[in-house]
Amino acid sequence: MDAPLLSVKDVSIAYKVGALDIVAVSNARFDVPQGSIVGLVGESGCGKTTMARALTRVIADNARIKAGQMQFAGQDIVSLSEKDMNSLRWRDIAFIPQSAMNSLDPVYRVEYQIVEVLRDRGGLSKSAARKRAVELFEMVGIDPGRLRDFPHQFSGGMRQRAAIALALALEPKLVVADEPVTALDVIIQRQILDQLRSLQRELGLSVIMVTHDISVVAYICDRTVVMYAGKVVEDCDTATLLNEPLHPYTMGLKNAFPDLHSAGTGILTPIAGSPPDLANPPPGCRFAARCPFATDQCRVEEPMLTEDAPGHFVACHRAVEAAALREEAKQPGTWGTAA
Amino acid sequence: MNSLKPLLIRTLQLALVLWAVVTILFLMFRLMPGSPLAAYIDPTFTEEQQEALIRQFGLDKPLWQQYFTYLVNLLKGELGYSFRYRAPVAERIWLLLPNTLILTFSSLIVAYVFGILAGAWLAWRRGSRVEVAALPVVLATRAMPEFWLGMVLLAIFSFSLGWFPAGGTRSAGTEYSSLWALYTSADFLSHLALPMLTLAIYSQGLPLLLMRSNMLDVMKEDFVTMAKVKGLSSYAVVVRHGARNALLPVVTSFAIAVGYQLQGNVVVESVFSWPGLGRELVAAVLASDYPLAQGAFLMIAIVVIAMNLIADLLYTFLDPRISHA
Amino acid sequence: MPETVADTHESGVARIFAAIRLPVGDPFALAGLVIYAVFIVTAICAPYIAPYDPSEILYTADYDLASDLPPGAKGHLLGTTSLGRDIFSQIVWGARSALLVGFTAAFMVAFIGSIVGLLAGYFGGWVDAVLMRLADVAFGIPFLPFVIVISAFSEPSIWNTVIAMGLVLWRDTGRVIRSQVLSLRSRGYVEAARVVGSSDLKIILRHITPNILPLSFLYGSIAIGWAILTEASISFLGFGDPDAISWGFMLQDAFASQALARQAYYWFIPPGLAIILVVSAGFFISRGYENLLFPKLGR
Repeated sequence: MDAPLLSVKDVSIAYKVGALDIVAVSNARFDVPQGSIVGLVGESGCGKTTMARALTRVIADNARIKAGQMQFAGQDIVSLSEKDMNSLRWRDIAFIPQSAMNSLDPVYRVEYQIVEVLRDRGGLSKSAARKRAVELFEMVGIDPGRLRDFPHQFSGGMRQRAAIALALALEPKLVVADEPVTALDVIIQRQILDQLRSLQRELGLSVIMVTHDISVVAYICDRTVVMYAGKVVEDCDTATLLNEPLHPYTMGLKNAFPDLHSAGTGILTPIAGSPPDLANPPPGCRFAARCPFATDQCRVEEPMLTEDAPGHFVACHRAVEAAALREEAKQPGTWGTAA
Repeated sequence: MNSLKPLLIRTLQLALVLWAVVTILFLMFRLMPGSPLAAYIDPTFTEEQQEALIRQFGLDKPLWQQYFTYLVNLLKGELGYSFRYRAPVAERIWLLLPNTLILTFSSLIVAYVFGILAGAWLAWRRGSRVEVAALPVVLATRAMPEFWLGMVLLAIFSFSLGWFPAGGTRSAGTEYSSLWALYTSADFLSHLALPMLTLAIYSQGLPLLLMRSNMLDVMKEDFVTMAKVKGLSSYAVVVRHGARNALLPVVTSFAIAVGYQLQGNVVVESVFSWPGLGRELVAAVLASDYPLAQGAFLMIAIVVIAMNLIADLLYTFLDPRISHA
Repeated sequence: MPETVADTHESGVARIFAAIRLPVGDPFALAGLVIYAVFIVTAICAPYIAPYDPSEILYTADYDLASDLPPGAKGHLLGTTSLGRDIFSQIVWGARSALLVGFTAAFMVAFIGSIVGLLAGYFGGWVDAVLMRLADVAFGIPFLPFVIVISAFSEPSIWNTVIAMGLVLWRDTGRVIRSQVLSLRSRGYVEAARVVGSSDLKIILRHITPNILPLSFLYGSIAIGWAILTEASISFLGFGDPDAISWGFMLQDAFASQALARQAYYWFIPPGLAIILVVSAGFFISRGYENLLFPKLGR
């Protein structure tokens, strides 16, 4: 197997809020293999967006990468100089934001914003950049005649496509997509995911897909990393994750979302309770308070992320009993009582 | 284009406002106690002479008739006859308006260029010691009486250092072939310097504070973050995307500021004996020359209202979200 | 980031208390409050603080007119005017006029503006249309010229100046309060009160007014500054109350007496600084309010 394009090792990221240090991501570890789509999934506040943004090193003023490495094509993003990092941005790592409405500058035409990045970062001439902008629009399925529009004149789906066109402008190796379809309705969601999938195959891209929606993961991702309260709790190929999850949180998450493929026949069961306070995380497993299978050990001893089967990582003390737990997790009553 | 309709409505509304202001002005000057002619009726005049004068100014007619005549005259551009100058008010006003406009616009342009740059810079240096020290100073310039600032500058730069003349628009005995020659002469500009600086120092606070707070808001927007993620230069991030967006409301405020400035001019023109509308208004009121006072007031009101409209127009045309709706 | 969504009604009540208790947590606002405290005490105790009658013409021990004395000379802390009046005593008494004008005008502005905003926002329809066109008219009136004309044509008194200011300056407060009322009106608890049949008066007094009071205070504290500055301009131009010693009057006196040409800085600097101090105190407090009411804005 080739070396992964991106290898995140023990990364911790903290926000300073007043005197408190809120560790939004702690000891995250996962790989993104060359040419694959990796999902980063979890509830809001689990640290997935912080993790994704850290890959560009454009993070909030009060946030800091405290530890770890992010090996990307032979360089460590964490320790790169600002100058080297900046030359990496967009040329190698591009970003598709959640809300393209807010991430496109309202006072410039869309064409200007594509041309800007092609000229400033890609070194293209003005005319070459304009030609490339037309190509990009055709590639993502927008009429190039709309290039001269302002962002607010686009529909939600078009804006998101324009954001994809913008991300692909410099043919990056890695595209980080932060909830790229969350704001759209289900039909448009599928169109855009299909498009992203075919472009990814065509261009041999690697994609990190950040989402809270396990059905999006199921639809498009090759591998999936599940995060909970700043920690990676499970990481394996998507088919295995969906069919034979090892972590109780993954089992619960699966119950909580409808399937994007089929009209869901099962009843949706949310996981009761809420994630722990990251300023003051509990000892032991962070999911223990909401886990229907938690034992005394879970509440005091923190489970480490270990490779349970080749390519299947999980952080759970009861991973060996997973098959039995899965059966139990299918009973709706299991999740309602957790406090 | 459907963006024109609200503008049309706005224009009509402001035309109504103008009419209301004109009416208030009429009532203000007619309903005040004492005859408006009191200052000009010599006690030695005979009864007949006094009545002749009153008839001459139409003051013997009923109020509604006076009002009607007044409106008709206004529409014809006639503002009446100044008691003091024994000349048409309009003539006097057209003579003074350029001086007031030059003073207003030159000071505001200086204030806005400085305020926008300094405001953006302070936003950039947010939380620094410079910012912490600068904010109270800026607020204090807004708290200054303009005429006092003028007095201080006058005492220092004119009376003490002798760098600039103490008042007026030109030195005694100078003649210019045209108004243009006057306005571009070094003599005129040195007379302009102190009143212009006074108004500029007073006015820079508004664009500065506005620019700073807009900039702070805009820099938190997603599209600015994305500009950084794209690896664009700091110039592109701060100026092209940050400042360009933060500038919108500041530019719009320029028109409003012209209106406010015109009112502030009243005192500063008086301090520097600048022959403008404001000083004329004060002098006319003091001398009970009510047609002239009314004319000057009206001219100032027209500019204020026009600027309110221009502010709306600017806002509409500068923001593509509205102009390309 | 976790966001706390406060219950609006609860926080409304809490906000009034916070507003009335004044934003002492903010360093700017605290400075403003301290300045106000000093000036209020000065204004109240003026007769005890001022060593002389501010309008009395003073003579030196050897019966010369005590005119144009520099600061410190012969027991005059800030010197004397050309007519032999004690500048320090004038500054102290000037605080009275300033605070009187400032607070009454601010009260008028906040009061008229809040009533207009409440009526326009709550009743909407033609009430709103009429009141907002009136606000447009007020915006079309050049403020200072208006106050000058009213002050000149009526009996010269502080009150006429204050009334003239109130007649125009309510416009900003009115508009802001109106939009606040509009958003309050659509909130759940107001709808609920209407559904259960509460009277308009009761809804306005119980549910809406408490929520707009802090805004009224905010605009009131800005108006204090405007009023003091305007009164100073009016006095400086010679339309002020001749019986009241105000800082604007002092500056007019200094200007007319050639204090500038004679470099008598001790005469015209102190009244200006006094105005700046009090007016910026108002601005500082309003900033504090703003940070309190709209934490997102400002810093």
